[in-house]
Amino acid sequence: MPTRKTVLTVTLTLLAPLALGACGGGSSGSKDGDASTLRVLDYYNNEPDKTVYQKTLEACGQANGVTIQREAVPGANLIAKVLQQSSSRTLPDVLMLDNPDLQQIAASGALAPISDFGLSADGYIKGVVDASTYNGKVYGLQPITNSIGLFYNKDLLAKAGVKPPATWDELKTAAKALTKGDQYGLAFSAPANYEGTWQFLPFMWSNGGDEKNIATPQTAAALQLWVDLVRDGSASKSVLNWTQADVNDQFKAGKAAMMINGPWQFPVLNADTALHYDVVPTPVPTAGATGIAPLGGETWTIPQTGNKDRQAKAAKIVACLNSDDNQLALGKERQTVPTKTALLDKFVADNPSMKAFATIVQTARSRTGELGADWPKAATKIYTGVQTALTGGAPPAKALEQAQNG
Amino acid sequence: MADVEVAERSPLTTEDQPHKPASRTPERALQLLFLVPAVAYLLLFFGYPVVKNILMGFQHYTTSTFYTGEAPWVGLANYSAVIGSAVFSKALVNTALFTIGSIAGQFVIGLALAVFFRRKFPLSGVLRSLLLLPWLIPLIVSGTVWRWILDQDNGALNRFLGAAHLADRPGWLTSTSLALIAVIIVNIWIGIPFNATILYGGLQDIPEELYEAAEMDGATGWRAFRHVTWPLLRPVVGVVLVLGVVYTIKVLDIILGLTGGGPANATQTIATQSYHLSFQQYDFGQGAALGNILIIISLVFAVLYLRANRKAVDE
Amino acid sequence: MRMPRWAYTIVGVLILAVLLFPLYWMVNVSLQPGGSAVGTPWLPIHPSFHGYSTALSQQGRNLVTSLIVALGSVVFSLLVATPAAYALAHFKVRGANLVLFGILISQMVPGIVVANALYSAYNDLGLLNSIPGLILADSTAGIPFAILIVRAFMGNIPQSVVEAARVDGAGPVRAFRSIVLPMSRNALITAGLFTFLFTWGDFLFALTLTTTENVRPVTLGLFQYIGAYVNDWSSVMATAVLACIPAVILLLVAQKYVAAGTTGGAVK
Repeated sequence: MPTRKTVLTVTLTLLAPLALGACGGGSSGSKDGDASTLRVLDYYNNEPDKTVYQKTLEACGQANGVTIQREAVPGANLIAKVLQQSSSRTLPDVLMLDNPDLQQIAASGALAPISDFGLSADGYIKGVVDASTYNGKVYGLQPITNSIGLFYNKDLLAKAGVKPPATWDELKTAAKALTKGDQYGLAFSAPANYEGTWQFLPFMWSNGGDEKNIATPQTAAALQLWVDLVRDGSASKSVLNWTQADVNDQFKAGKAAMMINGPWQFPVLNADTALHYDVVPTPVPTAGATGIAPLGGETWTIPQTGNKDRQAKAAKIVACLNSDDNQLALGKERQTVPTKTALLDKFVADNPSMKAFATIVQTARSRTGELGADWPKAATKIYTGVQTALTGGAPPAKALEQAQNG
Repeated sequence: MADVEVAERSPLTTEDQPHKPASRTPERALQLLFLVPAVAYLLLFFGYPVVKNILMGFQHYTTSTFYTGEAPWVGLANYSAVIGSAVFSKALVNTALFTIGSIAGQFVIGLALAVFFRRKFPLSGVLRSLLLLPWLIPLIVSGTVWRWILDQDNGALNRFLGAAHLADRPGWLTSTSLALIAVIIVNIWIGIPFNATILYGGLQDIPEELYEAAEMDGATGWRAFRHVTWPLLRPVVGVVLVLGVVYTIKVLDIILGLTGGGPANATQTIATQSYHLSFQQYDFGQGAALGNILIIISLVFAVLYLRANRKAVDE
Repeated sequence: MRMPRWAYTIVGVLILAVLLFPLYWMVNVSLQPGGSAVGTPWLPIHPSFHGYSTALSQQGRNLVTSLIVALGSVVFSLLVATPAAYALAHFKVRGANLVLFGILISQMVPGIVVANALYSAYNDLGLLNSIPGLILADSTAGIPFAILIVRAFMGNIPQSVVEAARVDGAGPVRAFRSIVLPMSRNALITAGLFTFLFTWGDFLFALTLTTTENVRPVTLGLFQYIGAYVNDWSSVMATAVLACIPAVILLLVAQKYVAAGTTGGAVK
């Protein structure tokens, strides 16, 4: 029964946090001209990335006389935050974006071209520059990149007497030979999101397929490869649901002899000393063809905050993140590849495990290079077509046609 | 006693004789005061978002709009685009099946559990509290755990079904025919605690004397349920169902976590498609248009509820 | 169907065992060494507690934050919602249906739209990264829900009881406090329970309305272990398990009060 005492207690309980709140937290980011604290927003919210980037950012801040105030959000929620900050004009001073997202944000006018601050992307891998270019101007600098390749379990392949495949035919044969019991020959990721699109791109591009129109025989042939692999049991039907992390778990547990994945899995795989693996580029359609894989990695941009001093300082931080030393350090610590072509030889010499990926990224392509801000629509069509074919809803050519026109 | 009355009464009602019916205006004002904080809160927190959401459906709203504020009016273009898209009819059917399946399952099981827990038995209180555990787990965690359980090759469910020789590794999340069923089952699992707890509270409010009186008239078990329980439970049932529909139609995280709307749009509902359009294709106008269609569908149920509600009050 | 009491207990335990299997699986994974979830054995034969040590050392503060925000939201929501529910149930207010309609519409709006609007407003008002701010925002789930539920329950309170009190000279406020509230105990507890659960599980406002790690509910803190590519599932599951414990205690206490027949006997 609510007595007067209860009402009083309740009211005090409510007022107490208000009083605390008044003393404690306040709004984020000061809009004043003081350029001694810069705000940074990125999505490296989990270890080890969180600490690696914290260290790097702080070092860059110190070198340029600024304090870094950093916010790290989960990956899937970065763009929502960026949009909220766009509309309330509270964008950070330094903004990290996943490279395919740069087009959308640049198109809105929220970013400043890096040339405004004397920065340039000369000497960077071409695909990387393409991703950060919108309407002919470069809006971001990307220090490191990655891609995907074919991981294989050395022991399992040796036992089956199979060489790591280099062409599609070899892949089909090898995968079949390696499928026994509850072990699948190959695992890849084909869920209903952009991760599925990402994994399909090397097969599509290496065969001459193009995202402008996926209803072509070249793309259909690539999709046919995937359909054949699942149909003859070399790859599990669960690829329709697996993320790349799930695929890695399968490979690690010995349930898949080969997998398509990226170098970020090295630390997890290395932790299991009983697992002996190696990486080769994703198999190509015919011997001697060039493999074209998609480019990953995040780019650092300078939003229009309306304060020239802060932007200039922010540009220095971005430049610092992209310095030769930092590119090599980040590459080493995060199992990624530096983007300045001049550094690649030195990098591979110091990190032999990254050799395969250093080769892969040199011929890799950016996802938004052709379509720019229209990439998301095409990406959706790709994974929709892939899923329709893999579930047996339609043969590859028809599935891609439906997706392209849908 | 008059002193106590004066002290307790609010300053608005200052009649001398408490036995005379209070004058209209101060009583009225006091009554409205009961409502004012709630209405103020709702207007403050929901007024602007609701209006904005409705307007967004008629505008060309992209990522640029967030920065520039420009959102050209396009009338019904968004609506015709989403309704004309290949995935719309599938999403509509999926939404209907998903909602009906979920509500039916969670209401019936919830009601059965509520009735079951009416009887006092040892540990009933503890078990009732534990029933709410699924709601204490963040959806990202429950979604992931269910994905593991439903995995075709290694999932706990298939391992069990295989060992019991009941089924041979169905592709719960990878088969276009089973995926929607799997997602409905998980949603029912989530909805059971909600229905069971609220219905249980409603059942508890029905006085024991009525059951005793009915028993003396020879009505027990099913007849007691029909003549005593059901009429008194109806307002609670009504609100549970209408809230159930409104919440289920909006369900997003569970479907995204389990299948992302796949495979091949087998579990794509209007809510997930709206999210996809807004946050993955960055066409917020179309996403809002779909969202508004969803609101219109919910409104139909809301109106039905209010009608039924008014009828009950008049009885 | 007269079964002995303990038979009900057994049936109850079996039902819960089936329903709560996913939670058992969660605990199972939290104890697995290696942090991945393929080929997890049915029982954690070689338990590893590294997930729990990580969770305890890093999420303690977040747990407390979640608790404070959830409890604060319950108090605030019930304070605002209960009088409104009573008014809508018993007073002949013009536009009552309009208010109900508005409440139902508020439940249909996607949460992200509300979150976006609140972000701008909070940023201007300096309410970001604050506990009162989160309490107010999370009550957007609790208040409409509480009004609807409590109103439905209050519909069963016969007018005659309230009228009797009024004839005895009580003002509407007194009648509300002394007669209606005690009879609505089940309603208030049920509404309070779910307001707590809605707030406890909220991720959207936790993400949108905070920018630093000072005020960080545990639903957001959990994501520290979920990266774009690699997941530390043991820590995730361990955090989820630990987060349950204080909440379950609260639930157990609250459920005791949902007693039978609080409206019974009042008519006599």
